[in-house]
Amino acid sequence: MIVFDRVSKVYPGGNTALKNVSLHIQKGEFVFVLGHSGAGKSTFLKLILREEKATSGRVFVNGKDLTRMKEKDVPYLRRNMGVVFQDFRLIPSMTAYENVAFAMRVTNIPEKKIASRVPYVFSLVGLSEKMDKYPDELSGGEQQRVALARALVHSPQLIIADEPTGNIDPELSVEMMELLSAINSVGITVVVVTHEHELARHFSKRVITIDHGNVIGDSQNRQDAGEDAGEVIL
Amino acid sequence: MKWSSFKYLARQGLHNMINNRLMSFASVGVLTVCLIITGVAGLFTANMNSLMLYLRSQNEVVVYLDENLDETGLASVDSALRSISGLKEVTYVSKDEALDLMRDSMGDKADLFDVFEGEENPFLANYKVVLQDVGQMDEIVPQLESISGVVDVNVPTGLSDLVVNIHKAVTVISVGLVVVLGFVSIVVISNTIRLTVFARRKEINIMKYVGATNGFIRLPFFVEGIAVGLIAGLISSAIVLGGYQLLIIYSVDFPAFWGAILNDVLLGMGQVWWKVLIAFLAFGSLIGSVGTATSIRKYLHV
Repeated sequence: MIVFDRVSKVYPGGNTALKNVSLHIQKGEFVFVLGHSGAGKSTFLKLILREEKATSGRVFVNGKDLTRMKEKDVPYLRRNMGVVFQDFRLIPSMTAYENVAFAMRVTNIPEKKIASRVPYVFSLVGLSEKMDKYPDELSGGEQQRVALARALVHSPQLIIADEPTGNIDPELSVEMMELLSAINSVGITVVVVTHEHELARHFSKRVITIDHGNVIGDSQNRQDAGEDAGEVIL
Repeated sequence: MKWSSFKYLARQGLHNMINNRLMSFASVGVLTVCLIITGVAGLFTANMNSLMLYLRSQNEVVVYLDENLDETGLASVDSALRSISGLKEVTYVSKDEALDLMRDSMGDKADLFDVFEGEENPFLANYKVVLQDVGQMDEIVPQLESISGVVDVNVPTGLSDLVVNIHKAVTVISVGLVVVLGFVSIVVISNTIRLTVFARRKEINIMKYVGATNGFIRLPFFVEGIAVGLIAGLISSAIVLGGYQLLIIYSVDFPAFWGAILNDVLLGMGQVWWKVLIAFLAFGSLIGSVGTATSIRKYLHV
């Protein structure tokens, strides 16, 4: 699903964010990417999202070489992945429903399909009751689930959660991780980027640890890797 | 792009415009002023052109003949005149006819001229010559003067030079105004759109992450920019054409000479209104879209 082949990223100004990183995340895996702030986590994310290009080495997502991808193909790459940001990035002037529908509207999906798909993803994240609320009427955990619903709406093969526990209460973060596990159990690759060792340790999943731009640890603890997960259409 | 998506995005653009009504109002205002000035300059140029045509059609040169010219002399002058190219009309006016013309123009004082009958007639026989193009005046006049038997050539050079110069100046100033004001308008619109883009940078960022193409992200802003341009175009057309209509109505009451000239020269509303409207709408939407294009690029790089 995600392959880094000797990837280095040096920003203009000489700041080296990643040094010769190689890793391989299989389709259907659940992976924590662990590191302190400034360790290179954000760069790792940006490379997967093709927000940045690798300085050297190659990045593959879903079999596509992002280092050679044309600018105009980037939107289509992103439609195959859903991102849940730490700050949720919901639009405050839109209801929860509209926020999710927005992601479909701006990718040219017909209104009819939106009307049937959006309530469905809300039911998946357990928020059907609150579709018509505005973000500021929802708790942090609920806002995060709206963000997750939005990430799921394009039926992505990959879900990336950036510091999913950063802005919500600890007990809610467990709830969130369980939701992500459930999503993973139907074959969707999940990558959770975090700086919390506790969180990564709590779930017995694969943990890739990044420090100073290097991969310093990779626990191949994958008892529920997705190869044998059932093919459920989400 | 699907029609439903287009409708959605276009609605978003108009929605932006209403949300940003103060800035939209300001940019419509500035663009309207720019268009009005441009339009007035344009109409002025068009009417100067019409005045040029009018004066060109009126360019009459009077060629006075020697008093002692006999029949043969007259015949040779006549054939010499007619061999000059670039003349539209050549009309002979004899001494008697010249006197009659003067009498006619004096109305009830015509009998004053009775003393000039016959041998006493002080008027010279002449040719009224109309040139095809007033611009050829400088070439043709020396040819007329060089004909033997011609004593004087009366040329309205003063007027034609003045008109040619004014025409040139007006054209240059108009083009300059259009360029400068066009630039100013682009800057103003681009700033308005930049504010909208800034206010919506979060949405743009989200759109980028959920995989919206740049075309999709840009469209609402283009709709906003073009709508501002079209509204300004409509308002300025109404103002400029309204003013022009008033000029046409009141030109009848202008002092004799100007009234007469304006009547012949002023382009009619029927010739003008659709040109002004189309030009304003086109110019407005062009500036709206260029202004948008220049302001949005930065935010698309995510």
